[in-house]
Amino acid sequence: MTRSEVAGPTRQIAVLQGVSKTFRRTPALHPVDLAMTPGVVGLLGPNGAGKTTMLRLLATAIPPTSGRIHVAGYHVTGSMADRVAARRRLGYLPQEVVFPRGMTAFGFLDYIAVLKEWKRTDQRHREVRRVLQLVHLDDQSTKRVSALSGGQRRRLAIAQALMGDPQLVILDEPTTGLDPEQRASLRGILSGLARTGTVLLATHQTEDVAALCDRVVVLDAGRVRFDGTVAELIELARGQVYVGAQEVPGAFSSWRTGTGLVRSVGGTPGADAQPVEPSVEDAYLLLRMQQTHPAGAT
Amino acid sequence: MTAEPWHLNTAVWQRYAAGELDAVAEASVETHLTSCAVCRSSAPETIESTEVAILWEGVATAIARPRPTRIGRVATRVGLPDDDLVVVRASTALYLPWVISVSAALVCAALAAVLPEPHGSSSFVVIAPLIPVLAVAAAYDTTDPLRELVAPTPLSKLRIALLRASVALAAAVPVTLAVGLLLPGLGGLAFAWLLPSLALTLASLLLLTRLTAPMATATVAGGWVVGVLAITGDEAPVALGSTAVQSTFLGVAVVLCLLLWLRTSSTRLQGGY
Repeated sequence: MTRSEVAGPTRQIAVLQGVSKTFRRTPALHPVDLAMTPGVVGLLGPNGAGKTTMLRLLATAIPPTSGRIHVAGYHVTGSMADRVAARRRLGYLPQEVVFPRGMTAFGFLDYIAVLKEWKRTDQRHREVRRVLQLVHLDDQSTKRVSALSGGQRRRLAIAQALMGDPQLVILDEPTTGLDPEQRASLRGILSGLARTGTVLLATHQTEDVAALCDRVVVLDAGRVRFDGTVAELIELARGQVYVGAQEVPGAFSSWRTGTGLVRSVGGTPGADAQPVEPSVEDAYLLLRMQQTHPAGAT
Repeated sequence: MTAEPWHLNTAVWQRYAAGELDAVAEASVETHLTSCAVCRSSAPETIESTEVAILWEGVATAIARPRPTRIGRVATRVGLPDDDLVVVRASTALYLPWVISVSAALVCAALAAVLPEPHGSSSFVVIAPLIPVLAVAAAYDTTDPLRELVAPTPLSKLRIALLRASVALAAAVPVTLAVGLLLPGLGGLAFAWLLPSLALTLASLLLLTRLTAPMATATVAGGWVVGVLAITGDEAPVALGSTAVQSTFLGVAVVLCLLLWLRTSSTRLQGGY
């Protein structure tokens, strides 16, 4: 595939072609084919599904065992020059960022900006201040990172991924530790970035997916189990989610809600069970349970 | 008793905006502005709004950016690139890999002096200066808490490793020298590897301003091998440990530092995306 094909009219920002990853004979990701255009893509899946591996591969943090990866039109698995060119166009937030104790918030971002090749001091400082304002940490810039709260540290880690308005933003569980207001603010930032680039986020927060994502990819045991829009995912569960006084027999999952009624996903409803509008979480649970318990047993 | 409040007059504002104040007066204005709402609100009356925005940007950045250390201030004054200083400052702020790096350089030096073999062969001399540099790179590669963030960034990893190695070696050389003088039993070879290692690291950094990373390192490594082979056989280690050769390497390191400064201060690359 040439660069013009990847970065052509359809503007595929990130492409995986038969990409797999094996760690010491243990397959973390089976061969995957995915192409991502501008928008927000949510990556759902249980722990150990291969989400972080896929993100690290796209971020060029690790090489694939097989297959080809293109980012912003550059063949990152082809040559070092292409890999470096792709790195100039991506932002990456790992699942966990361990901050050095002595650095201030500004000093940390200044360091990452240098690593992202912002050489001109005035431009670099302007960009650092811009991303600090974006995540509402501009009044904390002189504080040592060790003195920041967990949510503030997470926002600082997000800020470094947003530096330079990258074409591909890769976020591993970005909303962990953020309060509802901060999550709403982050959604606003990400949806703005998604107008021109691709935001790929791995999360366990299905409400983030429902609120933000144009597309959902569900991974399980290193394989893609679902790839479609949020509406298509929800459609999988239509007519299979019920609310009633009792648990629906044979339900994959059920719980008593705040109204005192029992919400059941799957199963055979009785007379008192009423079908309700499914959520992304219902659809995800149904998808997961159908894969782990194909016969429908709980 | 409290001091009478004072405010910036138009003349001071305009001189400040034009950058005509000296450093002390400028710092005084900036400190005053952070605490005086009256002066902040009077700014738009005396200065164009775009100028105010730029000024505020500068004031806010000056307050926010970390205060440079004394060594950092000297390095800035002599014109070393700010981005390199940021990498060095961040690297020394990563305490664990920094301590391991300097310790590793010292251990390499001590081992080279204490071990009877194989440091008597020229093949060992060929690889010896590489060992402290590799030790520094390995220390950061295994213990840097930010390595997952650093890996997918475009800045040359070789350049980062060389910058870190040069600073760690510069810190290790005087310590090793002092230890060597205090413990004469270690002999001249105690620090025989560090100065060549520092010189080769600086030479690589210098060549990186003109050549690609593989070419720069290959040129330096090739030059070193040819130099060692030119000193025949088992005489290489002895020659390397002599005061004359060590003094030469110290001189070469100083000259390379100078050249590096000249090169980097005359070729500032455009940053950003």
